[in-house]
Amino acid sequence: MMTYTEQIEDSMFDKLEESEKDTEFIAMESKTYLKDAWDCFKKNRLALAGLIFLLFMVVLAVMVPVLSPYTYDSQNLDVRNALPSMAHPLGTDKLGRDILVRLMFGARISLMVGFVAAFLNLIIGVVYGGVSGFMGGKTDMVMMRIIDCIYSIPSMLYVILIMMVFGSNIGSVLLGICVSSWIGMARQVRTQVQTLKQQEFALAAYVIGAGKLRILFKHLIINCMGPIIVSTTLMVPEAIFTESFLAFIGIGISLPQASWGTLASEARSVIQSYPLQIVWPVLAICLTVLSLNFIGDGLGEALDPKNR
Amino acid sequence: MSDKVLLSVEHVKTYFDVTKGPFSRKQIVKAVDDVSFTIKEGETYGLVGESGCGKSTLGRTLVQIYRATEGRICYKGRDISTLTQNDRKEFTREVQMIFQDPYASLNPRMTVGEIIKEPMEIHKILSTSREREERAAELLKTVGLKPDHIRRYPHEFSGGQRQRISIARTLALNPKFIICDEPISALDVSIQAQIINLLKEIQENMGISYLFVAHDLSMVNYISHRIGVMYLGHLVEEGDADEVYENPIHPYTKALLSAVPIPDPDKAREKKRIQLKGELPTPLNPPSGCPFKGRCPIATEACEETRPELKDYKGHKAACFRIQT
Repeated sequence: MMTYTEQIEDSMFDKLEESEKDTEFIAMESKTYLKDAWDCFKKNRLALAGLIFLLFMVVLAVMVPVLSPYTYDSQNLDVRNALPSMAHPLGTDKLGRDILVRLMFGARISLMVGFVAAFLNLIIGVVYGGVSGFMGGKTDMVMMRIIDCIYSIPSMLYVILIMMVFGSNIGSVLLGICVSSWIGMARQVRTQVQTLKQQEFALAAYVIGAGKLRILFKHLIINCMGPIIVSTTLMVPEAIFTESFLAFIGIGISLPQASWGTLASEARSVIQSYPLQIVWPVLAICLTVLSLNFIGDGLGEALDPKNR
Repeated sequence: MSDKVLLSVEHVKTYFDVTKGPFSRKQIVKAVDDVSFTIKEGETYGLVGESGCGKSTLGRTLVQIYRATEGRICYKGRDISTLTQNDRKEFTREVQMIFQDPYASLNPRMTVGEIIKEPMEIHKILSTSREREERAAELLKTVGLKPDHIRRYPHEFSGGQRQRISIARTLALNPKFIICDEPISALDVSIQAQIINLLKEIQENMGISYLFVAHDLSMVNYISHRIGVMYLGHLVEEGDADEVYENPIHPYTKALLSAVPIPDPDKAREKKRIQLKGELPTPLNPPSGCPFKGRCPIATEACEETRPELKDYKGHKAACFRIQT
């Protein structure tokens, strides 16, 4: 066995320089939650492309009808069913109306329906689901049974009934879409709130004397914001789709106003002679819905703290 | 420490109805079953017992997270179940709680500053946001963190640091009484000592009373003036900390104490461990008679029939028929 005869003396040690004291201190840059999420979102190419396309679409929808020499309902029977040209970049329809202007005018309506419906769903769903999950017990039961009742009637029926009463305008389309589509959001928020309210930070908020509203919004709902934002994003394409579908089968805003669905429906009548006309609205719907879905997926990944 | 009683718990029972569906047999969990004790001003009362004995439930009942099914909890002589909205606000200002899991007890979406300022905002302590911010920084210093941590998020801290943030949050209201619900059980041993010493120091400076819930007897002995031992929702022994620790009389306390590790191997070898048979019975169908009878090494037939009450044995209360005096 080896023995150490050498003595360890104090002189063998050196004191650390003052500047070296903190060399082991490594701290990650303190990022806020949103900054972190944005960095993660940027790495997802598809989602970023989706976002750029969507912004592009919004800019076009705002600018084109303003800058174009045509309006959405000005007819020019001399140039019916024209192919794309310098004067009409996407051609004209059977009444000689410029398709680009009509398409972008339709984008205004379709996008607006999508975003407004998603926003209304967000507000109603979060508040309803949050209150239901937070209160629990009998309140929760009654609120959930009300949801079941609303859910048991097909949403198409609501739309048709509302159209009959309020007439065919964009407001009734929105109302029809919103009547039942917030239910998914409400259910999701309720489940999240139910699990979160048992967490110690919620109890801690109660113990420091926080009121019910404060606990619900400042502590519980803010902690399920990630999934809420994702499903709101995914609700936009859903609403656009529903509106287009309704317009295509003839329920919805009235002519000569145009949404993507009515454009597709009109083009269908000349599909055998001028198939190009139906391509534009369908392409617009597809690309918008697709990019919104990509954005939704990207957000889902970026906002999920487990991905850090 | 004065002789004034701050909190008195009188025959408190907390039951939970766990009946599944309207047509099944009624099932009730008796988490806390007839517990009485008092806490004086400036005193630390240690509550020990194994997992599931109801000590955390009791702590939570005291701050009204759970409502007591029966019995009275009096804070400064007033029954807390009859508090009005305003009185409750006053009560929450004076009675605070530190939670067990430092990873779950801080809202992950709030910065440390927001967390510490929140109780002050709710109770309108200090008028401007600026003053509250300064106070929060001061509190961070009190609990041994740096004031510039104020803009960071909880996930950037370690368990011990988070528990310090938790403590800073409770201190923001200048409370008179803090319930510590196993504040150290989720921490490393080296950090445990730091937190315990911090709590002790705060008590000396601010004269706060603690109810200290834990399952580590030596830690509880270190911080407490008096100790209560719980078993299956009942208080089975109670007395001055040293008295209970050095000279336990209830067979359950004896068994618990014999399981405390001793850092000296020679002494540890000499020590006789009392090993308990069986498991903690479920509080769903608690046995009649003495709750401990199934595992007690000295139980007799008398223990089967009736439940022993807490009785005085030379300044030292215990609930057991078999104690020789």
